[in-house]
Amino acid sequence: MRAARTAYPLTWRIMDALEGVAAAIWPARFRRATPYLMLLPAVLLVGLLVLGLIQIADASLRTLDTTTFQFSDDYSTANFRRALTEPLFLVVAQRSLVAALIVTAVTLVFAFPYAYLMVRTRSPGLRKFLLIALFLPFFIGQVVRAYGWLIILGNQGMVNEALGLVGVAPMRLIYNYPAVLFGLVQYMLPFAVLMLAPALTAIPEELEAAAGSLGANWVRTFIHVVLPLARPGFIGAGVVVLTLSLTDFAVPAILGGGSHDFIANAIYDQFFRTSDQGLGAMLALMLVALGSILVGLVFALFGAGTLAMGRSRV
Amino acid sequence: MQEPFRAAASHEAKGGGEIAVTVRNVGMDFDGVQAVKNASFDLPKGRFLTILGPSGSGKTTLLRMIAGFQTPSSGEIFINGEAVSAVPPHKRSIGMVFQRLALFPHMTAAENVAFPLKMRRRDARTIPDRVERYLALVRLGGYGGRRIHELSGGQQQRVAIARALVFEPDLLLLDEPLAALDRKLREEMQLEFRRIQRELGVTTINVTHDQREALVVSDDIVVMDQGEIQQKARPIHTYRQPRNAFVANFIGVTNFIAGTVRAVSEAGDVSILRGDLMLAGKIGDPVNPPAEGDKASGAIRAEQIRLAGDAAQLSKLDCMLAGTVTDTIFEGERMVYEVACAAIGDEVIRVFDHDPAAHTQFDIGESVFLGWNARDMLVFR
Repeated sequence: MRAARTAYPLTWRIMDALEGVAAAIWPARFRRATPYLMLLPAVLLVGLLVLGLIQIADASLRTLDTTTFQFSDDYSTANFRRALTEPLFLVVAQRSLVAALIVTAVTLVFAFPYAYLMVRTRSPGLRKFLLIALFLPFFIGQVVRAYGWLIILGNQGMVNEALGLVGVAPMRLIYNYPAVLFGLVQYMLPFAVLMLAPALTAIPEELEAAAGSLGANWVRTFIHVVLPLARPGFIGAGVVVLTLSLTDFAVPAILGGGSHDFIANAIYDQFFRTSDQGLGAMLALMLVALGSILVGLVFALFGAGTLAMGRSRV
Repeated sequence: MQEPFRAAASHEAKGGGEIAVTVRNVGMDFDGVQAVKNASFDLPKGRFLTILGPSGSGKTTLLRMIAGFQTPSSGEIFINGEAVSAVPPHKRSIGMVFQRLALFPHMTAAENVAFPLKMRRRDARTIPDRVERYLALVRLGGYGGRRIHELSGGQQQRVAIARALVFEPDLLLLDEPLAALDRKLREEMQLEFRRIQRELGVTTINVTHDQREALVVSDDIVVMDQGEIQQKARPIHTYRQPRNAFVANFIGVTNFIAGTVRAVSEAGDVSILRGDLMLAGKIGDPVNPPAEGDKASGAIRAEQIRLAGDAAQLSKLDCMLAGTVTDTIFEGERMVYEVACAAIGDEVIRVFDHDPAAHTQFDIGESVFLGWNARDMLVFR
């Protein structure tokens, strides 16, 4: 018996000792609490966020006295009224919302063929290339990428130089609304592809072959088979792109050149330029509300898609 | 009153021999690997053909080329006399039942069956009636409203069959759809396929690795191995007159005794010598007959060998071997004996017990005699 025991490797005995220590400080009868213990860090983080949100809610109800730069002690709805009545904020809100909707639609249209090819191609080389091309921009970061577009699309940029070679006069390609939309679509594409790909992987290729043998050409196969089955992926990707675009800061700031601000830029201005934290907080809360309503609307209309965690499939 | 199925006409064609499918010198290369080599056969209208072979034999590739999912590297496929290599699947009149059925999970059973009719732009008013008629044909009347995941495995099979047949295709293809079922259900569905095929008279090509299924359901069997067609024959001929050692070995349980050819007669009698043992048999493949001095194998089926405790009981048989029982395997309806025979270097011969009613039972280690008739031993090169 003794000889057999010494034959166990050292790592096994260390593990035994560690398990013994663990059993002493966390006895078996506590074991049912273990999953909750593991949940604790996430709960703490979200809890802090909620605390911050409460503080923002508190700030949003206090008005700034511009002569003393002090916040009022009393609560008032002045910020709320200002946010709704001042034309600037309405323009910004409308601009953000319209941009988010356009960007979502365009991104989904562009992302689908990319994801489809990536999932369905038989060539592992092409799949790797598509994946790398997708992730590479992630490593660069949003701000650097937006500056990159400034260089490429600027008055002396590559695009205008190329156009000059064929005799086209330089055009203003940046600091306008299409430039912001373009930058956002380019930024959102990887998110949408990554959300769509698993949904497409879940559609057996045999279903498309079956649709073909039953008389459907590729357009009808797409409409009647692929699209309905990919719906969870479209909803997931749509919600992610919609919320990320709606709340984006860097792309409108850099590619819009200050003249095509989104809600996040307006909030930034209130906090750090005019120092009216009350109004900034109110705008932030309204952005949260707008996003929540939009996502709720999508879920109510189309279901929760992949975000339902597979419980309400099809 | 529902219109009758168009069975009668096709049944007449069964005897008439009008050709539905011609496969001519078809080959398929995958990156230099020949999955199918120079395959040719004709399939008359209304017949049920099974392509039988082990996995990797090229049988599924051949089926996918007929369906139009793959284009032959060489040769041509004709359906109703027309070359179809340039015709995409959705323009061929082919119903296919897929290995994993490929039913649409977001549709009900009835919507699945209606799908090919809608895609082919059939008169919308006739669709519900026709769908219900085909669901009744596969004995699923009243199940049309069910979602696919609410149906059992067997019911899903039936929906897939109805969907493949509802648009009255010229050809029905079955890509091993029964492979995943348990044995009882599989045997039930085999008979169901045969019943429906006979009722509608639709020309059918079935692919399987299950020799029993091939024998039970088919009018003809094409045996494939390593991309090549080994034999095309009716099931009973495939079993009783295999054309080569592969077919003899793949279907049924066959013993091979290797030796050297000593004599070949005009009438097709062959004798082979193994050590001191002379074995009489028949030429297995008349196209490629063995000649004197060739290495050859005598093939004898396990059920064609008699087993007895003393030699006198086997005196009416042409050949006899003495051996020792090395194993007994009880398979329910029969007993399988493995017998090592000294005359052929203690090679093991497998024998099915023919007479379970006699309740004779040999034990491991017992000395026994094996006997068979010369006409049952086929000699292959």
